[in-house]
Parts: sequence; structure tokens; C-alpha cells
Amino acid sequence: MRGLKLPLSQTQRVRLQRAFEKLQSLSAMANSDASVTVADTIPVNYEDAFLKGHGTTDLNGELVATVCGVVERVNKLVYVRSLRARYKPEVGDVVVGRVVEVAQKRWRLEINFSQDAVLMLSSMNMPDGIQRRRTALDELNMRSIFEENDIVCAEVRNFQHDGSLQLQARSRKYGKLEKGQLLIIDPYLVKKSKQHFHHLEQFGIGLILGRNGYIWIGEHVEARDSMVIDQAKSTEQSTVVEGINQAYTPLEMRQNICRIGNAIRVLTSLGFNVDLNLIMETVELSSSLKIDIHDMLGSEFHVLVAEMEAERRILTTKRKR
Amino acid sequence: MVGLSVGEKHFIQGGIAQDLRSDGRKRLTYRPIYVETGVIPQAHGSARVRLGATDVIASVKAELGKPSALQPDKGKIAIYVDCSPTAAPMFEGRGGEELSTELSVALQRCLLGGKSGAGAGIDPTSLVVVEGKVCWDLYIDGLVISSDGNLLDALAAAIKAALSNTGIPKVDVAAETRSDEQPEVNISDEEFLQFDTSGIPVIVTLTKVGRHYIVDATSEEESQMSSAVSISVNRKGHICGLTKRGGVGLDPSIILDMISVAKHVSEQLINKLDSEIAAAEASEEES
Repeated sequence: MRGLKLPLSQTQRVRLQRAFEKLQSLSAMANSDASVTVADTIPVNYEDAFLKGHGTTDLNGELVATVCGVVERVNKLVYVRSLRARYKPEVGDVVVGRVVEVAQKRWRLEINFSQDAVLMLSSMNMPDGIQRRRTALDELNMRSIFEENDIVCAEVRNFQHDGSLQLQARSRKYGKLEKGQLLIIDPYLVKKSKQHFHHLEQFGIGLILGRNGYIWIGEHVEARDSMVIDQAKSTEQSTVVEGINQAYTPLEMRQNICRIGNAIRVLTSLGFNVDLNLIMETVELSSSLKIDIHDMLGSEFHVLVAEMEAERRILTTKRKR
Repeated sequence: MVGLSVGEKHFIQGGIAQDLRSDGRKRLTYRPIYVETGVIPQAHGSARVRLGATDVIASVKAELGKPSALQPDKGKIAIYVDCSPTAAPMFEGRGGEELSTELSVALQRCLLGGKSGAGAGIDPTSLVVVEGKVCWDLYIDGLVISSDGNLLDALAAAIKAALSNTGIPKVDVAAETRSDEQPEVNISDEEFLQFDTSGIPVIVTLTKVGRHYIVDATSEEESQMSSAVSISVNRKGHICGLTKRGGVGLDPSIILDMISVAKHVSEQLINKLDSEIAAAEASEEES
């Protein structure tokens, strides 16, 4: 919605405009009193004791918003949650990050946050699976687990006193991600849901929606056994040779990976939330209309997706009533 | 430039080998090109070209000057490219100088022809006002705002669009001046001469990854390249310039193959670019 840079013909422009108007009218009905802009007064009962949270300030005895966003109330706390801010991590979030540094007993990961997150060696499962104390030898062999520039999936464990994040990757489903592509989108488009790991059986593809806006689409790998064999490959040489000799991803799977990737790109450029249902509907729309994978990034498909989403939301609101 | 893990590099190379790149393109497909003209009102001509996430602006300014003594019947054209720090943090201060000089030299070679001015894409004889005394100096500046690979192609397209958008003011020369005096010139504010840009070539960059070449590489794909050849082709299919980057040596037969591929790709690119420029000029006139 923010200035789509697409060459649209006149009819496409009209259709897109109409679809956006329908969506805006729907959302306006939902919560018109909760959204505020800067310097709006927040409706609050001044008799009750309440706590002023983030994004609010006391101006001439009135509670006024300092950011544009939605008013949230939690017990006595009143705060304004801005819509398009930097990624704000919460404990238990699934994030995807890239290793930038291998330091003493820890890896530093870049996760699209204001600081790099830390993954301690003790928060990782060891390759042989045994729970034991980490020795000096383990510390020296950290590079055999994760190296610089590797993509890692982990969970937010807690915040440290200086505001930086600590991650953990204790479960089988976390760990290094290979054989796929990473997409970077705005973090506010990925909402917290029950499941962030999706295994699309019909394609054999694993989709990880990191809450920090990093999305991984790749071949689905079962239960992280790749760590067990890594003891054998002790040198950099053997990994490189192994990489060249490994077969490339089969064409069928690659087409599905690219299709899902393009569906996510279209949804982000239109500003829609990225969740599994919407992605699958977009992919099905493109395959049912026999649209070529690259043409999914063209103007016609953007307009079709906007119209489809408008129809879908009208249906869901009708069903709710 | 963000690094890539071994798995991602393997995935990109596999995609190129199988003719299906990360965003679904074939090896010889360009990203959608988006052209806007007239973005800088104070310049005589300007254009902004977006090629995926690559974003460049080109502007053309014309000033009256004296032609050089060696070529009294030709105007002067200077091309200069600047990489803005908004594209990458390493371009701050003097960090972007190396890349800027490389791009400027490549564009000069492709568009301006030889030292004598022969074989130029832009005809300098059309810039002369009074032979030997007064001519137009054209300053073409390119600015890289955002870099996602394939800067040379985007800059060449932006320069072509900017030149189509350029209006050189009409000049009235006072008649009857003595031969050793500077003639008086009257620059009109109303009438403008449009440039003829049909002869301007486009640049097609072919990036070799593994055993295949791709057109319009993103910065991730460029990090995997062994070498890249940029070929400038004009509408008639003639080669106007050739630049090779990358330290890996290429067999001559590969270069000849790349040239024929570039010729083939350039036909579609020239047509697409012309239609986009025409659409941009039309929408600029509306607004």
C-alpha cells in the first residue's frame, strides 16, 4: 500500500484502488476507537489509577499518544503499540538469524534487531546427543557446529540486563538451515501464532516464519541428524568437496520453493500479514491460473491477490455476524 | 554485502544450473524495469530507473562552453557516477570511489566512443552552436541510491531515459560578428530541442556462475560470479563497447558466445525500455 512501484495500466489501477477501499472499510468498522495518531487524546477513566506505558505522555493533565498506533490495555497499564516498529522480541519467539561471530563459548547472531543476539554453547544440543558439561575441546570445535554466515533457527530464551537477547536451540527442530533460501521482510507482517514451523507435505518443503521478519523456505529436513555426522568432517576441505558432489535440489521442489517465495514477496509488497493460510491461498491462486513463477511478481498478479484478499475478508466478516 | 552460508550459495548455484533462479526467473530474463522521468526539475533532463531493488537516478545538465581546439565542430559530454552511502555503508566518504570510477569509465567507453569522438552513441556534432566558438557542454551524472546488483545496466537505462527527457534550450546567435570575437547568444526559455536517442546503446551484463551465464544478477548472485562481461549493443545490433570484470580467465569462444547472447537479449531490452520510457513521459505530462 505504500506506493507500490509497479507499472499498472489504467484498469489495473482502478481495480487495485477498489480492492484497497474495500479492505479499508472493513478494518475501519472493526476498531476505529482504538487506533490513535500522534497528539491524540487516549480515552481513559481518570478516576481509576492507571499506569502510563510506552508511547504515551501526560500533556496538560490529559493522556496523549506520542506515536501512531493502537491503544492496548493490560490490567492497569495503558500503552500505545506502534504498527511498523523495529522487531520487538518476546520470550518464546521463534527467530531465524545469521551467525556473524564465533566468540568464546557463544555465537553472535544477527536477527534484524537493534542488537545482535547471543546463542550460548550451553544452550545448544551437542552433536552426540548426550547431556554433559561442555569441555574446552567443545569450545574449540564450535566451528564444526555453526560457522560465520550460517543461517540458524532458534528460540528467544530471555533478555539480559543490558537489553540484548539470549537464544536457545535445545530442541531437535532448531539448528542450522541449509538447502533453501532466506527472505527478509518487515517484522510487523509476521504475527505471533501457535505454529511457526510448517511442513508442507505435498511439496516436501519446510517453511519457517521467523518473527523477526526472516523467513526460511527450503527442503524439509527431518530431526536434525546432520549434526551427528559432522564429527567426521573435521576440515573445511571436505565440506567444500561434499557440497559440489551433492546433488542440487530437484527441479520440482525448486519450483515450489520459488513459487512460495514469490507469494510471500507479493504479500509483503501489498502489506498483508504473512501467515500460512494466506501463503497457500496465493500459491493455489497462481497455480490454478497457470501463472508463470516469475509473472507472479508482475502487476496483474498483485491486483488479483489484492482482490482475492478483499473477497476473503468480506466473507469472514459476514460469517462472524 | 551480507555474507551467504554454504547452503545458500549451493542453492543459488543449483538454481542457475537448472534455469530457475531464486525469484523464478530464467537465466536470460530481466527483472521488471520501472522508469520515471523528470524527477529533477532543475536539470535539463532526468530519470529514475528501478530494476528490482536496484535504484539509480541520472540527470543531464547543459551549459554553454567553448569547444576544444582539436575538435571545433563537436560539443563535449562528461559522464560521472556517484555511489551514495544510502546504498551501502561502505560507500561513505571515499569508500565508494573505486566503484564509482569503474562505473564512470565503463559508461564513458560504451556511450562516448573513442578519443576522437568517433563512434559515439550520442552524436556530439549535434551539440555545437557556433563552430569553433560556442558549443553545449553536457554533464551527465548518475547517482546510485540502492544497489541490488546489475548497476551498469540500470545506469545505462537511466542515462538513455534522461537523455530522452532532455530539452536543450534553443539558442539564437547574433549574426554578423567578427571572426575573432565571441558571438552573442540568446538562450531561449521557451523552445527546446529534443535529443534523438534512438542511436543510444543499452548495456547488457552477463554474469558467469559455474558453467552458465545469467542476465541481470542480484547482489547475491553476483557474489557467486567467476567473471562478468558487460556488452553495449545499439538498436542496429552493433557492439558499442565491451568490459570484462572478474579475475577468472575466459576462453575466447565463451566471449563470442556471450556476445551473441547479449545481442539476442538486447533486442527485447531495447523494446521494453523504449516502451517504459514512453509510458513514463506520458504519465509525466499528465501530472
